[in-house]
Order: sequence, then C-alpha cells, then structure tokens
Amino acid sequence: MTEASILLIDGLKKRFGGVVAIDDVTLDVAAGDLRCIIGPNGAGKSTFFALLCGIHRLDDGRIVFKGKDITRMLPSRRVREGLGLTFQTNRVFGNLSVRQNLEIPLASIRSDTGAEGEDRYRMALERFGLDRDDETPAAKIPHHKRQWLEIAMVMAGNPDIMLLDEPTAGMAPEETGNTAAVLRDLNRAGLTILVVEHDMAFVRQIARRVTVLHQGRVFAEGTIDEVTARQDVRDIYLGRR
Amino acid sequence: MASPFSLLNGSEDLGRGPIFWAGAAIVIALFLAVPLYLSDFAAYNVSYYLLNIPMALGLCLLWGYCGVLSFGQVAYFGIAGYAYGVIAGNLVGQSWGPALGSLGGLIAAAIVAAIFGYFVFFARVQMWILPILTLVLTLLLETFLGQTAGYQWRVGVVQLGGYNGMTGIPAFQIGAFVLSGYAFFYFAFCIALVCYVACRMLVNSRHGKVMLAIREDALRTEMLGYDIRVRQWLVFILAALLSALSGLLYVQWGNYITPSQVGLLSAALPVIWVAVGGREKLLAVVISTYALNWLNYRLASSGNQYALVIIGALLVIVMVFFPRGLVVTLADLAGRRSTLSKTSTARAHG
Amino acid sequence: MDVIGVVASVAYQFCTNAAFLLLCALGLIIILGMMNIINLAHGELMMMGAYAASASYSRGAPFWLASIIAFVVVGMFGAALEMTIVRRFYGRELGALVVTWGVSLVLSQGFLLLFGPFMPPIQIPEGNIALGQYSFSYYWLAMFVVAALLVVALWWLYNHTDIGLQARATMQNPAMARALGVDTRRIYMMTFTLGAGLAGLSGALLAPTTSIMPFMGQQFVASAFITVVVGGATNVVAGAVGSSLLLSLVKTPVGFFLGAFLGSVALLLAALIIIRLLPDGISAAIQRRLDLRNRIR
Repeated sequence: MTEASILLIDGLKKRFGGVVAIDDVTLDVAAGDLRCIIGPNGAGKSTFFALLCGIHRLDDGRIVFKGKDITRMLPSRRVREGLGLTFQTNRVFGNLSVRQNLEIPLASIRSDTGAEGEDRYRMALERFGLDRDDETPAAKIPHHKRQWLEIAMVMAGNPDIMLLDEPTAGMAPEETGNTAAVLRDLNRAGLTILVVEHDMAFVRQIARRVTVLHQGRVFAEGTIDEVTARQDVRDIYLGRR
Repeated sequence: MASPFSLLNGSEDLGRGPIFWAGAAIVIALFLAVPLYLSDFAAYNVSYYLLNIPMALGLCLLWGYCGVLSFGQVAYFGIAGYAYGVIAGNLVGQSWGPALGSLGGLIAAAIVAAIFGYFVFFARVQMWILPILTLVLTLLLETFLGQTAGYQWRVGVVQLGGYNGMTGIPAFQIGAFVLSGYAFFYFAFCIALVCYVACRMLVNSRHGKVMLAIREDALRTEMLGYDIRVRQWLVFILAALLSALSGLLYVQWGNYITPSQVGLLSAALPVIWVAVGGREKLLAVVISTYALNWLNYRLASSGNQYALVIIGALLVIVMVFFPRGLVVTLADLAGRRSTLSKTSTARAHG
Repeated sequence: MDVIGVVASVAYQFCTNAAFLLLCALGLIIILGMMNIINLAHGELMMMGAYAASASYSRGAPFWLASIIAFVVVGMFGAALEMTIVRRFYGRELGALVVTWGVSLVLSQGFLLLFGPFMPPIQIPEGNIALGQYSFSYYWLAMFVVAALLVVALWWLYNHTDIGLQARATMQNPAMARALGVDTRRIYMMTFTLGAGLAGLSGALLAPTTSIMPFMGQQFVASAFITVVVGGATNVVAGAVGSSLLLSLVKTPVGFFLGAFLGSVALLLAALIIIRLLPDGISAAIQRRLDLRNRIR
C-alpha cells in the first residue's frame, strides 16, 4: 500500500450459482494512474467493475476508496464519493436528446468540486465534439459519439476515478485514437483511469500499467511490454492454460 | 433553480407557447363562469369529474414519468376518505374538525404508502411485482371494510358501516357557510388546477428529469449518483397524497364513502383514465380523466348497463392500437401537421 | 388427549390450504414463467371454468367430467385471447398487465350482462372421513390429491418430454431457442392455452366451495397473486410448490386462530417480507441450490 493509493482492492471473491467469477483479486491503484485491465474472455473483467461499483455484492473482500471503506456502500453513494463508470454495452438515455442526457447528471454532486473537475468536463465535451444544446435523440447519433456521450455524462459528475468498460468497442481506428488522446489528457489533468479493454492497439496508446486477469484472478502485472513479452500471458490468450 | 415560467413552459408536458396559454386562459375562464350557464346540480356533477383529477395526476407521475405502475391508488383514496369520516365525525360541532380530518386523511395515506413502499422499492423487485401487490392491498382493504357491518365496528361515535359504508360525513363548514353546490365546484376546480400546475412544474424541474431517467434506465441513473429507490419511494408517497386529496374531495362531494371505492372496479378506473389519455403527459391525463368520467356519467344516467364493458373495451383497444394514449397520439399528429405546414410555408416563401 | 386427531387435523388444514393456493396459482405461474407476463384476467378465466362446469353439471354431467370440459373450454378461449391480444405484448410486461386487466373487466361485466348475477351452484361432493371429533371431507382430500397429481404431471411434462424441453429452452433464452429451430410462437401459444386451461380447471374444481357469480374470480386472485409473487418465475414447478407450502405454513396457524381474513393479511405481510429478503422469489433460491449442486468446478 502506497500513500497515494486511491483505490485499494483486497481479496475480492464472487460466485454466481456454480460459477466462480472472481477468485481472490487484490489490486492497488495509485492516484493519477492510467491502468488497463486485460485478459481473455470470461476472465471476470466486467464482473470486477460491477463489484467495484456495488452493482453486485461481493462474497468476500474489501474495497477502500480514498481511505474510506466502500465495501458495503450503495452504488449511488459510491458515485457521489467520486467513482464513475461507463458500461460495456453503451448506456445512455436513447429516447432523450443529447441535451437532456447531459442535463441529467448532477454537475456538482460532490461539495468539494474544484475548478479542475469543471475543466476536465469541458475538455471532454470539446474534444469529443458534443454540443450541450443538441436536441438529437441520443439513439440517433453515431455509435462512437454515443460512447463519447456516455463518457461525458459520467465526467459531468466530477469523478476522481473513471472505470471504462471497453470504451472503444465498435470504433474505427481514428475514433479510437481520439479517445486515447482525450483519456491521456484527462489523466494528465488529474483523473485516475481504469480501463477494461480488448483492443491491444488502444491499450498501447494509453496504458502505463497493465493488469492481466484470468479465471477471476490477477495473473500478471506490469508495463504493457513486460506483460506481452511473457509466454504464459500469450498462452492464456490462446487458451493453452 | 429555474424560473417559475420556464418550469411551467417546459417541454415535459403537452402544450407550450403563447397560443397554448391563450387557450388555457379561455378554458379556465369557461370554468370560472360556470354559474352563468350551468345549474347548481350540473355544477355538482362536473365537480365529480374534477375531483378525480389529482388521483389521476398521481398515477401519471408514478407510471408515466417514473415507470412505476400501481394498481392500488384507490386504496389511498379510501384511506383518506374513511380517516376523514372517522375524525371529523367524532368532532362534529368543533369548527376545526374537518381541517383535522383532512390532515388526518393525508397523514394516514402517507404513512401506509411509506411503509408499503419501503418493502417494495428497497427490495429492488421486478417490475411486475408492484402492480400486483398494490392491487392485493386494495382488495384486502375492501374485504376488511366490507365486513365492518356490526355495531362493534366503530371508532368513537362513527360507525364504519360494512358494505353500506359510512354516511353522514360532515362537510367543511365555516359558520353558516357550507361547502356545497357552486362553492364546492370552485373549491374542487381550484384544487385540481393547483395540483396540475404543481405537477407540471415538478416534471419540468431537475427532479422531473431524474424521474424520466429512472424510467428510461434505472441502473444508468443510479450510476450517475442518484438514489433511485428513495426517489421512487418519494414519488409513490406523493401519488398516494394526491389520491388522498381526491378521496377527501369525494367525501366532501357526497358525504359518504363505501368499500366499493377501494374495490376492483374502482381500482381499474385511474389506470384506464391514464392509459387512455396517455401516461407520459400530464395534460393528456387531465383531459381523459374529465372526459371518461363525463362519459361514465352519461352512460350510467341513461340506464346503460354496458358502461363498464365499454370502458374496459376502450382500455383494451387503446392499449392495442394507441399504446401512447389517445390524447397524446392526437397531440403528436397535430404537432406534426403544424411542423409540416410551417416547413411548406417556409419553402413557399423561401 | 386425541393427539392423533389434532395432528391429523392440523396436517389436513395445512394440506388443503396449500392445495387451494396451488390450484389458484398454477395457471398464472406457468404463463409468468414462460412469457414474464402476469395475466390479470386469471380470475375471470377461473370464473369461466366455474361457469362451464356449472352449465355441464346442471345438465347432468358428473363433476369430474364437468371439470374436464371447463379445462378444454377455457383453454380454447385462452388460445383465442393469446392470438388476438396477448401476443402483441411480449416484452412489454407492464402493458400486458394493463391490457389483461381491461380484458378481465370486459369478461366480468360481460358475463354479468350475458348470464345474470348467479349460476346454478355445484354441490360439494358428499362424504367425509371421521377421526374422533374431526372430520375430513372427501372433497378436500381429493383436491389435495388432484393438486399433487397436477404438479407431478407438469413436472413430467417439463422435464421428460420434447415439448417440455423446448419450453424450458424458450423460457431461458428465446432467441437462442429460435436459432436452434424451436417454434417459440407456438410454444407461447401452447403455454398460454395450458395456463388458461388450468385456470378454468381450478375454477371448476373450486366452484363447489363458493357461489358462482361473475365476480367470483376476485376471491381467488389475491391468493393466486401472492403465491406467484413469492414463488417467482425462475423455476415454475418448484416455485409453485415451494410457495404454496411456505404460504400455507403462514396461513394455516393464523387462519386457525384468527380467522380467514387475517389469514389473508398474514399472506400479504409474509409476501412483503419474503420479497424483501428474496427479491426474485423462492424459486430463484431453489434454482441457486440446484445450480450449486450441479456446478462444473
């Protein structure tokens, strides 16, 4: 545990019926980190995020966020403490307009909202090309714009840490590049970011540290180069383990 | 905080802009001028259509704006009515009896809704459970009230009356002034209008937008930092208070209340008014509640036994062919036509 | 002390309460488990079954035959209802609730207008077994046996027939089932027909206990709904059985000491508490148990 830890995850366990989804995951996220969670399908990545947010209740383990134990906290309260999540399948309010989508998040959920948070939100809006007065229904804007809209909506709540679940799914390389650039800049502006991703090119563009999950456990950690050089990591992707 | 004008003129309900407000002013004037063209008795009948509007508004907020369907709103109508009857009936002669009775009715309804709502909303149950359980609650209430026929079933000096119900419920009275006839009509109209305006301002406010968000995607809303269970619970209590208000007006109107007011047929009516009008727009519900109550009265008073079959069939037809509601569908068509004509006018002058 | 008599009497009460709840709820649970729709016309379908039985019985048919006629007649009506109205609401659960409520209104009022306020009653088949000072009617014992047989028949249908397999596949994942060649539309229609038929059958079977009138469904729906809410939709047969037994456990002592009305109130309170603890009903808890026993790792 370092002093600058923003998120401490200790011994998480979760099973669904007969299936063990998360099997003793321990992780330490430093403030200002930009980390990718990777791993083959079924490794438990999305479940991991769901546990962090409180969408599922964990069977065992502890989560400490900014020094507070949030293990038993309601999801909405975790968000108010500074946690932000975008979903794997894009969730915006499709029947509502872009304007309405951006109006719904509380602009200042937390009382300690600094100018920093406001700046980051404005940067996200600008770099993603989103117009606060756009009346187009969210379901009708292009897919990549909808992904960006979801990120912006969550940014409106001034989170301290963003959990992004496959944010570039379905995006063309150019859009992926823009996303990576914006995330890097947001991170430089002080936002801690955790990304679950499949797209290795995208991971290379943003990540400093990478955590590999496999069968619900932390399999490897390190920089992207260290991790991809390992034969055992390649093996799990190829299903050899 | 947005200005009151923008809250009134927002986009979450039907109608906005100068033409709409001019039309609304005309309608309000028509209602205020009622003694000029309606008899005392006719005004009394119209009061009945009006007094049901708060209950319908409550269900509209709950179902149309929040996505929570309740089949048992009439339970709170009945609880308030009976509570008023019991309290005011025991305080006959005291000038503050009716006021205390009204307060008691509202509080009783709120408490029952709060407790019931706690079990349902904080359990995060599936969507269909609430309609069923609210229906069961109101049916049980009817059964209970129905078997209170004996003399031992009384609170103070007021008998509950079993299936015959409670009669002789005291009306509001200040000195020699009793709330009846035209006076009651204005009273009911004002309350219905105030309730509508308040609800309209609510749905256009930030809270209203969050309600919509909960309806659209509850999980997403929760992950934006809103405690959806508390919000749904609060709207549920608000809807119960509005139903209670209708119940209080009802006992003023008729000075009696029976268990059938909380029975199966009565319970269906608010759902029908809201579904036929269009659950997503408050004004549509106001119009349909008025119109359907008027229709029911015409059918019943002309001896037509098919009134309830017609209304039930109307519900089925609307749900199948006009799922957004008749008034909302018509408003949509009108809106589209005016946009088309504006576009073609623009092109012609272009 | 007539201990055997007391024990037998309590067991009898328990079994008849459970049988009553099960019979009320069975048709409803089958439809809920398959299509995630609560059919609010369920009470009226039971009423139609009672009417059909009454009509046959008063024309000389024996009670068992009248019940079967009720099953068939109401089943066919259910098929018609599904084809015209219900199938438009798959995926729209709240809309289905509202539209079936409209149907129930039309049916109850319509029957009142068509057939008047009463139908000829069906006498409870006579006879009982006496045990000391307690008597146990043949009728309720038969009802218990019929309920048990229905459960076994449904369990066999769902778990040991082809149709049952297709039905279970459709329940779990309709899109996947379709991709594998299952005609889900046919499955839905058959399920609704079966559910309606069972409602009619239950209405006929329970008709001797009450007067046969257009609004008689009302006395059954409260119990049926509570049983379904507590049971949940995850595993139809387990949910129905488990729920009936659990609720009867609540209703029997309360009803015995405090009367039938408070027994119903106790049911509602029990349901509220149970869903607070098990939001998806007890069938979900049972299914989790079964899954744990069958786990791969």
